[in-house]
Amino acid sequence: MTALYNDPVGHWVVVTVAIAVLLFVVLTATAYTVWFERVALGRIQRRPGPNRVGPFGLMQLAADGVKLAFKESFIPAKTDKVLYVIAPTIAVAAAFLSWAVIPIGLWYNVQYWIADINIGVLLIFAFSSLNVYAILLGGYSSNNKYSLLGGLRSAAQLISYEIALGLSLVPTFMIVGSLRLRDIVDYTVHWGPYTGPIPLVLVTPIGFVIYLMAAVAETNRAPFDLPEAEQELIGGFLTEYSGLKFVMYYLAEYINMITVSALAALLFFGGWYLWFVPPVLAFVAKVIFFLFLYIWLRGTLPRLRYDMLMRLGWKVLMPLAIANIIVTGIVLVAVQG
Amino acid sequence: MGLAVFLVAAAMAVAGGIGVVAFHEPIRSVLSLVVVMLALAVLFLLLSAQFVFVVQVIVYAGAVMVLFLFVVALLGPAKELGRGRLRFQPWLAGLFAAVFLILLWVMLQGVQYRQPAITDLHIFGTVQWIAVELFTKYLYPFELTSLLLLVAAIGAIYLSKRSIEDL
Repeated sequence: MTALYNDPVGHWVVVTVAIAVLLFVVLTATAYTVWFERVALGRIQRRPGPNRVGPFGLMQLAADGVKLAFKESFIPAKTDKVLYVIAPTIAVAAAFLSWAVIPIGLWYNVQYWIADINIGVLLIFAFSSLNVYAILLGGYSSNNKYSLLGGLRSAAQLISYEIALGLSLVPTFMIVGSLRLRDIVDYTVHWGPYTGPIPLVLVTPIGFVIYLMAAVAETNRAPFDLPEAEQELIGGFLTEYSGLKFVMYYLAEYINMITVSALAALLFFGGWYLWFVPPVLAFVAKVIFFLFLYIWLRGTLPRLRYDMLMRLGWKVLMPLAIANIIVTGIVLVAVQG
Repeated sequence: MGLAVFLVAAAMAVAGGIGVVAFHEPIRSVLSLVVVMLALAVLFLLLSAQFVFVVQVIVYAGAVMVLFLFVVALLGPAKELGRGRLRFQPWLAGLFAAVFLILLWVMLQGVQYRQPAITDLHIFGTVQWIAVELFTKYLYPFELTSLLLLVAAIGAIYLSKRSIEDL
């Protein structure tokens, strides 16, 4: 494998195959995340959820996909048609690009990744920051006041919470001394008799809490789903989208959910390490746990008001994240000298 | 391979630059500028400056240009008027462009090409390398810049807090 990877032509073959496998896995995972959400949300609300198409309703997404594909592809009048079509593709592209640097532990010494680069986590932030364009352009080019307001709201929300999200991870980088995701997962401690990997959430619990809240806001999920607040904005920037373009926005949202869950598992919960559990199962279990947390939040908490959302982001999470960095720095200097 | 990427990215940057001035809709001009920023980021990556690449995408494409887009979206769809009052402007612009190109050509004659001092690509351009340089060699200018930004931020807040009557 290494010989093939170092060969100039073989390198491209390996990378292309890896990208194809990843597309398949992420798309499948997205489809079943939607199914999982609908069933779990149904159970939370004491109803069965989808259970008619296929065993346990597992084929529901295929049925929905076919239905949406055959819908009329509607483009509003008097609008910028090019931007209207480009906007959802930006969302999907930005969502998929993050997976280029996310490593997945398959077995104890076998890991899967497309690019293992020095600045892994920062690259994910860079790509997720491009998501703002999809939402803003979608809202703008729909030629609809609700869409525009939803898009602007969403853009402001994403920019605000990006800061808290980035700052919440700085203590992790300071402790590990690297931004490479594999280094962060493989971070080992020597605590008395114990030597080995630890979940970093034990070291930076505050960073994890800030990350979790900011990540929910970044993915526009309840209780921070202001951009698509139905009561006030109909469907936000999605209002005028239908058919496959709607599917692309929807897909991007769920891919982002999985990305953020995988990042939480990698950065704070030791990635693919979990006692005696086989690595790939441990990783998948952790991702599913965070996805369930998302659904749980959606089923439990009411939506925040817009000014509450902004106050939380700027006046609570950001100062807390900065304080967390300073305290971590002081402790690190005190411990390591 | 590197040359092909360079040519594509450079062509995109130039095309984006032309788009900024050529489009009549403001929103397309803004998006052209985003294309320029992203193309420049790719050029930074070609020079092994990984961190600068990411910062270029996060700060310029992810934050600064979004604010531009915000303003354009708030002002609503509008088109520039076909012809401004400044009739002599195209001629003047052409003259300045010609002078600039001549200056550039003259300057390029005096450039001596050399290998960079550090060519160890395992360190160069990484976050660690830039951090060490910033906090040792360039600590003074770095802190001064942050002070300048702080002053600018406080000034902006002060100006936006003043009500109309005070002015």
